[in-house]
Amino acid sequence: MTVLVQTPKDWTKILWKRQSFQDNYIPPASFLSSLRRNSNFKPQTYWPLVLLSCAITQHISTIFIFLSIFVWIQQSKLDPRTMVWITGGSSLVGYAIWEVLDSISVKTSERYANRLKALKSSILIFLALMSLTPVLRTLTAATSSDSIWALTSILFILNTLLADYSALKNAGQVQGRLTSVLSMNAAMSASIVLASRLTADIAVFALILFSVQVFTLYPFLRHRLKASSTIIQGTTTMLLSILAVALTASLSWTITFLLSIGLLLITFLAPAFLVWAQKYKNEIRGPWDVAVPKVN
Amino acid sequence: MMDPISIAMISDFFHPNVGGVENHIYMLSAKLIHKGHKVIVITHSHAPDRVGVRWLLPSLKVYYIPFLPIASSATLPNFFTSLPYLRTILLREHIHLIHAHASLSSIGHEGILHSHLMGIRTVFTDHSLFGFDDAASILTNKLLAGTLRNVDAVICVSHTGRENTVLRGELFERSEDDPSRLVVRENVYVIPNALVADQFKPGPPRSTETINIIVLSRLAYRKGIDLLVATAPRICAAFPNVKFIVGGDGPKLIDLLQMREKYLLQDRIELLGPVRHGDVRSVLIQGSIFMNTSLTESFGIAILEAACAGLYVVSTKVGGVPEILPEDMISFAAPEEDDVVRAISEAIEIVMAGKHDPLRAHERVRTFYDWEDVATRTEVVYDTVIKSPQMELWERIQRQLGPFAGPIYTIILIVDCVFFLFLEWWMPREDLHYVTHHWDQAKYKEVRSLFACSEISAHNVLD
Repeated sequence: MTVLVQTPKDWTKILWKRQSFQDNYIPPASFLSSLRRNSNFKPQTYWPLVLLSCAITQHISTIFIFLSIFVWIQQSKLDPRTMVWITGGSSLVGYAIWEVLDSISVKTSERYANRLKALKSSILIFLALMSLTPVLRTLTAATSSDSIWALTSILFILNTLLADYSALKNAGQVQGRLTSVLSMNAAMSASIVLASRLTADIAVFALILFSVQVFTLYPFLRHRLKASSTIIQGTTTMLLSILAVALTASLSWTITFLLSIGLLLITFLAPAFLVWAQKYKNEIRGPWDVAVPKVN
Repeated sequence: MMDPISIAMISDFFHPNVGGVENHIYMLSAKLIHKGHKVIVITHSHAPDRVGVRWLLPSLKVYYIPFLPIASSATLPNFFTSLPYLRTILLREHIHLIHAHASLSSIGHEGILHSHLMGIRTVFTDHSLFGFDDAASILTNKLLAGTLRNVDAVICVSHTGRENTVLRGELFERSEDDPSRLVVRENVYVIPNALVADQFKPGPPRSTETINIIVLSRLAYRKGIDLLVATAPRICAAFPNVKFIVGGDGPKLIDLLQMREKYLLQDRIELLGPVRHGDVRSVLIQGSIFMNTSLTESFGIAILEAACAGLYVVSTKVGGVPEILPEDMISFAAPEEDDVVRAISEAIEIVMAGKHDPLRAHERVRTFYDWEDVATRTEVVYDTVIKSPQMELWERIQRQLGPFAGPIYTIILIVDCVFFLFLEWWMPREDLHYVTHHWDQAKYKEVRSLFACSEISAHNVLD
């Protein structure tokens, strides 16, 4: 094949014409010229990340609040009847906050229907729990307590890992993903096996009612709050963390210490670590990537 | 012209499967045999009866090793199990050089890993493009990087493919003059695919009253079938004299059927189902425009076949596609619905105005690509590799592969050596059943001249 002598400038990125370069010739200027690094990369800054980590802090705090309440009830330091009243009261407060948030975004007619639905389901849950309490109390009677503690830990870890920490984009549209459903189920199973360690029916009822409030209803509220202002989020996080630390403080100083360290790490150090680790981000894009078809 | 050597092609992808890689290996082997080399192919067996040793025209010996494929005809990467087979085959056939194909072929990777133990040189051809951002790519890219630490030369099928392979296989090292700069290794080549132009002769001239648009592709997401589904109704509405003929099968077939039903285009869009490679030309010559909507493509042999059969080509501008044809034979579109419609409309106008001459296009493609040329260029690579000094084991161990995969690969290398020494003791070389007879070149040439069209007949046998 006859080929003309070419200078490096003449090299073109084509295969159909034989060029006068060796097959292993690397064109210095054009090789990898279409490579783009970190093209879609938006660097994260510290404080927004701290704010995002608040949801995780809140979640862990609620788990420890729940555990402290369990220990208190089990050691008869807290009367189950008081606990039922506290749960009822905080439910009402939570519902009031929900209503306030609803009044901003949702239409009046829908709100009325929503209220009826909420009333109906709360009565249903209340009655169902009431009737199931004796069964739940003896559910794991044949199992040793050690296994229950281990199982509970695993289930709560699962719950923390799978929980949905995202903020709610459009109000009213609560779409549960599979992982968040799994997470909720893990938490409910954990509280049921814990409750089965209690001796009185009323104690079991109080604990499970509390767990329903903390692990199923509160996450909905947290989604809504997350979409709202920074101050509200910061305050709730502060309140919950302090409550968790204060409640554990009455039980064990070691746990209190570990919990406070853990919460501080998650809220303040972990975002800093992520910001630092971003300098290792290396996303490579080029013509070899599978194109994304744009269809109207 | 180099001295004749014995070459073993190793890949999971070979006849009786059909596809780009399979065809590439077969055609390259045939041309190398014509040039006087001895070529064998090593692949895995196919149930139920494609086992043992087979011969294909022209004098190509194929070893089918008993390995089970897991998915899409690829075998599990297990690093050691093929060594007893490969050692025996490579020694008894007196192989000088192995040529592994395709980055998802684990048997090819193993060939590269083991061959050095017997002083056999290695070449690797990469046929596909991969991304970097999903778990599967990260894993396979690391496997590739580990294998390419040991290879003597790498061949890619397009310039874009080479850029991709260099990054994936980490085929660069610090420059000797300036340690802060990275330079690509000297042993990375670009040698394109080719096609047998005689198999894709244009059909008789067509009237321009109705224009048939041909689509021949696997009906999968990566082939951009979503774009076809979105654009076909719009083109049918805009041009009443246009028809679509779609060949191929795959998961997106259902989308096409639904689209056809929704817009009542049963008489305008013909679905052929799977098309055998031998029937491709007969489908191509029914149309005058070839439409390719791939989202990624390393070389795009289907485009070339269509252009060779005299069709005007419209393609998405992805991967290595812009490199394979001159701009006056192909229209490019961005992978967007509107742009594809625009490009097709322009192509229809070009064809209706009679500005595209199929016979001239065929003659031009004939001069672009030729397997003879590919074989000659591959021979240069072989020659360079054979003449270069072989890498020592210590050098192979030293080549860094990161803190995690590095030690694993070092262990694999050392265990491989120990396994090899065990086999040397267990199955001594003296006891092997060596091949003493092969096709005599003079006899081969004589027979070949009898069957002047042996290439075509060989191909018919394959199909």
